[in-house]
Amino acid sequence: MLQLYKCLLWLYPTSHRREYGEEMTAVFYEARTETEKKGVVTRGLFWLREIRGLLRGALGEHVRSVAGSHSWMLFPTRRFTMHTEFRFPKATPVLMTLILAGTVLAIEKAQAISASLPHVNPPIGPIQPEHLTLMSPILLMFAVAYAVGLFGWAILFVLKRSGVHRLSGLQDSASRQ
Amino acid sequence: MQSLPLTEPVLLIMLSLAGQPRHGYSILKDVEEMSDGRVLLSTGTLYGALRRLLDDGWIERFEERESSRGRQAYRLSARGRSSLRTEVSRMKHLTRLASLRVARKEM
Repeated sequence: MLQLYKCLLWLYPTSHRREYGEEMTAVFYEARTETEKKGVVTRGLFWLREIRGLLRGALGEHVRSVAGSHSWMLFPTRRFTMHTEFRFPKATPVLMTLILAGTVLAIEKAQAISASLPHVNPPIGPIQPEHLTLMSPILLMFAVAYAVGLFGWAILFVLKRSGVHRLSGLQDSASRQ
Repeated sequence: MQSLPLTEPVLLIMLSLAGQPRHGYSILKDVEEMSDGRVLLSTGTLYGALRRLLDDGWIERFEERESSRGRQAYRLSARGRSSLRTEVSRMKHLTRLASLRVARKEM
């Protein structure tokens, strides 16, 4: 388990790993030792929390290493007011993944069916390049749409978690006073 | 860059360091205790927040002398303490305002 944690630490930028990696591992070891005395559910939740924290932390550190001290401009959580109607369920990424996987599978199945059909004469020769090139733009289009959707959802989720939408009411009341 | 208002985990980390210097695991436990088990920090979240606070000069990192392992500990800097005071007074104002408004509504 400790090995898995150390592996996940490799997701962090090298500078962060060198500076805090050993310390994080030591703290994780202490926390894990205490959690081992508890039930399976507590241990499972502990692992989920740790993995989620590492993934989010690594992403944040990479964004920071790319954007420097202006990284807040990429995710200006305190600069926008989020309206309550922009709430997305947590299952959205799962559903989007399922839809994408379903679409890709359907395309592949259609290709397989097309290939298995008996060809009338004259037999068709090798597939022309233009037929092949049609598939990759479709797949690319779905992948881009998925990535854009996921990115948008991530931004809205972060905004929602930051609680800035609650401040809109506060600002309104302050301006009325 | 940390800006006010602080997020709840960051506020709890700073409150934890306001009392005494602490090392990573001690902060985790103190935050859990202060929030009655509601805020459970992961090591990733904790060290992300600590790194940002260090960069902004709100906390300082030093080596614990008592520890045989040379463990790193953290303490609030003068700048951090001043920011914490500002945040606490902002929250006091908010809670006072909220209490007044809620009381007025109930009357």
